[in-house]
Amino acid sequence: MTALRPLLRYQAALLLRSQRWLPPVILYAVFLAVGVQTGQPILDSLGYAAAAVLPVAAWFVRICATNEPPAARSCVGAAAGPVRAHLACLLTAFGAAALLGVVATVVVTVISDPTSTNHQTRLPILPAGGAGLVAALVCALLGTAVGALTTWPLLRSPGRAVPAMLLGAVLALVVTGSPARAAISDLVTGSQAGTVPAPLLPLIGAGATAAAAIAVACALTTRRG
Amino acid sequence: MNRELLLEGVGRRYGLGRAAPWVLRGVDLTLAPGTLTRVEGANGTGKSTLLCLLAGIDAPTEGRITGRPRTAYVPERFPAALPFTAAGYLIHLGSIHGLSRAEAARAAVEWLERLGAAEYARTAMSELSKGTSQKVAVAQALLAEPELLVLDEAWSGLDRAARAELERAVLERTAVGGTVVFVDHDPRRLAGVPDATYAVVDGNLRAVTGSSAPRDSYVVVEVEGSAGVEPPAEATRLTVSVEEPGPGRLRLTVPETHSDTVLRTLLTTRPPWHVISVGEESAANGVLTSRSADTDAEVRS
Repeated sequence: MTALRPLLRYQAALLLRSQRWLPPVILYAVFLAVGVQTGQPILDSLGYAAAAVLPVAAWFVRICATNEPPAARSCVGAAAGPVRAHLACLLTAFGAAALLGVVATVVVTVISDPTSTNHQTRLPILPAGGAGLVAALVCALLGTAVGALTTWPLLRSPGRAVPAMLLGAVLALVVTGSPARAAISDLVTGSQAGTVPAPLLPLIGAGATAAAAIAVACALTTRRG
Repeated sequence: MNRELLLEGVGRRYGLGRAAPWVLRGVDLTLAPGTLTRVEGANGTGKSTLLCLLAGIDAPTEGRITGRPRTAYVPERFPAALPFTAAGYLIHLGSIHGLSRAEAARAAVEWLERLGAAEYARTAMSELSKGTSQKVAVAQALLAEPELLVLDEAWSGLDRAARAELERAVLERTAVGGTVVFVDHDPRRLAGVPDATYAVVDGNLRAVTGSSAPRDSYVVVEVEGSAGVEPPAEATRLTVSVEEPGPGRLRLTVPETHSDTVLRTLLTTRPPWHVISVGEESAANGVLTSRSADTDAEVRS
């Protein structure tokens, strides 16, 4: 059995060199530039930055899962097993989204005003940034789950996969009970109340959801077709 | 040590629901280490599906496959649409196959050289010709010395020298106990060498008996070893006849395409065999021309 490391390195190199990561990253940066300004309440801005990570994560999964021509995927699949090959692909996409989320959280934490929404209560900056980081990870995990369930091997034709991915990303952000919605509401209500939340329950929920989605997608690599 | 790759009652169908037709059904197959197996069949009969199952790229819908060793696969048409140089891609694949990066880099250079594509090592994959891309696909499979090698029309698109090199590589793999399965549209490909040939007919395998196309030319190798020592089995299984003109002396008739492998095996065996002469024999008229490698060599009739 091959170790996962060379697979992750291969997938990361594929993603990086394909330059297909540019559009989602640029779109994300534009989205932040429009919605986040210096001196705004920290938790509101962190919630905004975290929410936008979700569709970006789903997009990264789609890029990673469709980056390799099928014949090249077969070569890797024979060497490492298709399940591990796909696992590496999904983990690479999640890693890229998480990295983007971390960078955005740090930037937003630095430029924001560490106060509540009405600027009356001061908030501790590091715990606030930590809460934003957890929310960003929750969104990266859920976005990875959405992406994994709406691309190869589950959905193959782009005509169905892309609308399904977009719909899935929107639903994951707005449906009651979604860990992403819970994490972001925690930040928003915390901002209004002047307290820093710890959205750990959503993190557990998002982790479990992502693990289940990844398991389903990997299991289907050798079964569909 | 390698185990046998075992297929038991293997079936595969695509699509959901009971209406989907079976591409393969009830396939039982044993592939022993050190064997070469050819799979034949018309287009669309399920050859590629069988190879995907053997390579582990695909899982059977029913039945089971056990004992798969370290596997490598060469597809028919390898796409150049990868954002790497040829060597860069091979180093990635080599480490996925379990080599260290340094080993992978060495093996990449070695295999590109053997296949006559050394000058393309630093060329971007997207700029490679179809033939050179295929050489990269062959190199990625061979560089980690896989225990199971699955070749789906791997020869198509290769030039003559690379085709011969791939045949040699296949024989080397089987000589050291590897299992090789291949599909090729050319009936002369490795003709006479496979231990078994199967045709995919109506979703199942049928053993094909009798030899395929005749060989064009043979090489006669005369070697000397210690009296009473048997020649290595890896060498004799590639020969069409073994004569014993004198004590400790053997005259091996080998298909021309496999002479290098036989010689390499004989020379690397412990204790090594002494090569007395290597000559050509044309299968058509039986005339033997000999190039003497030793003053002791006798003129043969």
